[in-house]
Amino acid sequence: MAGLSEPSASEPRSDDAKVVVDGVGKVYESERQRVRALSGVDFTVDDGEFVCLVGPSGCGKTTLFRTIAGLEAATDGEIRLDGDPVTGPGTDRGMVFQEYGLFPWRTVRENVAFGLEEQGVPEPERSSRVGEMLGLVGLAEFADAYPKELSGGMKQRVGIARALAVDPEILLADEPFGSVDAQTRDMLHEELLRIWSETEKTVLFVTHDVEEAVKLSDRVVVMAADPGRVSEIVDVDLDRPRERTEPAFADYVDRIRTLIGE
Amino acid sequence: MSLETGTGAASDPAAAPEEAAEADSLGDLSEFDVSSLAYGAVGTTVFLALWQAAALAVGRTYLLPSPIEVATAFVVELTAPTTFTVPFVGASLPATRLTANLLQSLLHYLPGLVVGSVLGIALGVGMGWSGRLDDALTPVTRFLRPIPPLAWIVFAIVWIGIGHGGAAFIVGIGAFWINFYNAYAGVEGVSTHLREVAASLGVDDDLTMIRKVVLPAATPSIATGIRTSIGQCWMIVVAAELFGAPGVGFQIINAAQNLATDVSVAYMAVISLVFLVSDGAFRRVERRVLAWRD
Repeated sequence: MAGLSEPSASEPRSDDAKVVVDGVGKVYESERQRVRALSGVDFTVDDGEFVCLVGPSGCGKTTLFRTIAGLEAATDGEIRLDGDPVTGPGTDRGMVFQEYGLFPWRTVRENVAFGLEEQGVPEPERSSRVGEMLGLVGLAEFADAYPKELSGGMKQRVGIARALAVDPEILLADEPFGSVDAQTRDMLHEELLRIWSETEKTVLFVTHDVEEAVKLSDRVVVMAADPGRVSEIVDVDLDRPRERTEPAFADYVDRIRTLIGE
Repeated sequence: MSLETGTGAASDPAAAPEEAAEADSLGDLSEFDVSSLAYGAVGTTVFLALWQAAALAVGRTYLLPSPIEVATAFVVELTAPTTFTVPFVGASLPATRLTANLLQSLLHYLPGLVVGSVLGIALGVGMGWSGRLDDALTPVTRFLRPIPPLAWIVFAIVWIGIGHGGAAFIVGIGAFWINFYNAYAGVEGVSTHLREVAASLGVDDDLTMIRKVVLPAATPSIATGIRTSIGQCWMIVVAAELFGAPGVGFQIINAAQNLATDVSVAYMAVISLVFLVSDGAFRRVERRVLAWRD
């Protein structure tokens, strides 16, 4: 797949990468205290690559996610997408959240159509794009259901369809499968990998689950806490589909767990 | 009848499992309804019997009219012919005493409710959305809120005069505060998360955010405000009419002053019936509009 033939992480990556995280630091300041959440975070994500961010809780991975998403501003450094600095949220970054974030008053179809409405996509195209996205995530029959009628896994597939509908440059996901059961999670992993290879999107995926990171990604950015920083970037050189039972898979998991200190 | 449906589905082995399940749940629902209806009937009968017995023991209608006397008065008021003059238009319509009084009340209830609710929702949404507006107006709203609507009767009298306008003013104040607080709480409670999602999907101005995210998310709370004010405003109508505006509330006090308490109670029942009908109708609309709610 796309990522496997890419140059390895040890080679310097140029500024023509899809995403460049360049010396990003984040300090939260309140009247009583000053907390450094991120310090000197540097890494890049290539076009079409699947990168996971893992780390212990408190390592700032969610802060980093929110900064890349444009929901928070970096205190130092900057994030560039296709060379342009990120200054706020935008449709070039499709976002998928752990708590789904579906609009409960909109049906599945209407949720997926939301971003297209904002882009002013006119009606025949809009419906056909929504239909295409629902087909991609296998929810065509549930187009008229409200979110409350869906299981967690189905809700997240709507979330993915909605994020992809506006054809973003990159898909950002923050622990998207953290709220579903293990069996559903395995299924969603397969589905996400299929969608990734069909759409050839760049994916940046935050998780605390090391196995999930090894299962999915081309590279794993391992973070450490106090202050949040990148401790190592691990290339996952395994053929897909990957099985948790393979010894090489377990080696990667052990190596990353050791880095995290689990 | 639904019991028969249940039995029918169960005895038909060819029925699809889902159909049978549906029939069963309908059966359960009706059984529950039947038993609660039965208890309701018993309770109502006991209440009416005790009332009738108490009225017989008291023996004087003006002190405690019996349910039968009240029902009789109700029928008399419902059928006694009169005319209703449409304001502004001046045309006279045939009516009965009860419907004419009810229309009189509606002439200030409805405008007060609608105008008060719209203004209250507008200010509530505005203050819930804008921190600056909230900071600026919170001292004023906190101070004015505890004043009972009826206290403003002074200004109703000197500004508008006691009549439909004055009564509508009082009703409007009541509707205003109820809707203001519900809309405010609803907008304040809209999750940041949903707004961030909308921003990531291209919403980049306040008006679009309010229209497409904040208002729909706050609708359940706003609907609660409207439903509460539909009920509360009837209480205010009666109070406002005690000062002389025509309508059902005026009839309650007027009949009592003539010692016709059976007529008073009949009009009290009118208020209750109108409330039940309007509240029931609104609940139906609410259920349809908010079908998406958990």
